[in-house]
Parts: sequence; structure tokens; C-alpha cells
Amino acid sequence: MQIPKQATLLRIFVGEDDRHDGRPLYEAIVMKAREAGLAGATAWRGGMGFGHSSRLRTMKIMRLSEDLPVIIEIVDARDKIDAFLPALEAMMTGGLVTLDTVEVLRYGKDAD
Amino acid sequence: MPEIVAGLLWIALGGALGGPARYFVSGLVGRRFGETFPWGTMAANVTGCLLMGALAATVSFNGMALSSPGWQIAGIGFLGSYTTVSSFSRETLALARDGQSAGAGWNIVLSFGLCLAAVALGYAAANGILS
Repeated sequence: MQIPKQATLLRIFVGEDDRHDGRPLYEAIVMKAREAGLAGATAWRGGMGFGHSSRLRTMKIMRLSEDLPVIIEIVDARDKIDAFLPALEAMMTGGLVTLDTVEVLRYGKDAD
Repeated sequence: MPEIVAGLLWIALGGALGGPARYFVSGLVGRRFGETFPWGTMAANVTGCLLMGALAATVSFNGMALSSPGWQIAGIGFLGSYTTVSSFSRETLALARDGQSAGAGWNIVLSFGLCLAAVALGYAAANGILS
């Protein structure tokens, strides 16, 4: 699989406690991205943040460390990302989704 | 044997109430004042110490045995799970690890200072009311 040099970065901000069909939403999104044959996906947890509710979540204060932010990043060709968006939309109940244009320098071990 | 079982049940009952009470108090205070400093945990510990002082004075004034259900529910069970040294320690560590050594120091000094003052105040107040 190859990613064009001019690719799209799909970034999805959710909460650690968000669920989809009984499993963590971030996990469901990554699995769905793989099912859709996208080039890759990475989910990582944020140490602090707030969103639509303005409720602060932070690892530093135990009581406020619930539902920490989780960001899923997927880089692929624009058309493949676009094709994935309806499936993503069906899973999201809140959160934030952004698109960026990025330049891919390398993908996979045989990138050159 | 039945006395031990009864005692454990009273402690379990108090513990079952104390944990949620702390969760409520530390959440309320944490959201309002303590988003970057652990005021929520401190509020739970200081109020717990105030109650512990008052309870200790009441128990000693009434000549209650420390094996009495009242002490087991309130002193061991409720205040045992309402107050938290582990959260205090973990949050102090989190401050220190973030390089906020002044914050970590203040958390230690204020927690111990206010907790000791609260337990003494609770004891003196309850003693004054009872006698």
C-alpha cells in the first residue's frame, strides 16, 4: 500500500470513557479504520484537556483523571479518508474531527 | 467469632458510605478550585480530620469502647475510606514529577498542618459542647 506524497491527516478527539457498542470508542475507530483498509491509525492519550463541556480532565488530580482525552490520527489519501468519514460519523456521538493536508515523507519499511 | 463478623460488617458499611462521600467532596471542590492543585483531596482529608477529632472526643466523653458499632462504622469504616493518604501521596508525587516542587511542598505542609489543626479543633469543639 502506498500513500501519496500529498495526503490527509484525519484527527479525531474523543474521551477515554466514550463507548461504541460496549467497547472504547477509540478502539472501535482504530478497528474500523483497519477494516476499511486505511494506511494506519494511532490512538494516544492526552494528559490534560477540556472540550465542549469545559470540564477539565487532568492526570495530576486523581478525581479529575477520568475520561482523559484520546486522539486518533489517521494519515491516508484524501479519497480514502473521505470514504471513511460516513462510517466514522455513525460512531461519533460528540468529540471533534479535523482534517489537515500533510506531506508524507515516508511510509512503511520499503518507502524508498 | 460472631463479634468479629459483626465488627467487619459495621466497618464495611461505614467504608461503603465514606468512599462515595469523598468522591463527591473531592469532585465538588476539585472542579471548583482544584483543577491544577489537589484542593479536593485536601478538603476531604481536612474535613475528615475535623470529624475524627469530634468523634474521638465523643467516644472518650461517653466512655464508649473502641469495639462499639458506632466507632466501627464512623471512625474505622467511614473516615477510613473518606480520608485518603494514598491520593494525597500520589498527587504530591505528580506535582513533584512535573517539577512543581513548591506545589508538592505546600501540599505536604498544608495537608499535615490543616489536618492536625482540624483534628484538634474537632476534639476541642466536641469536648466543649459535651462537657
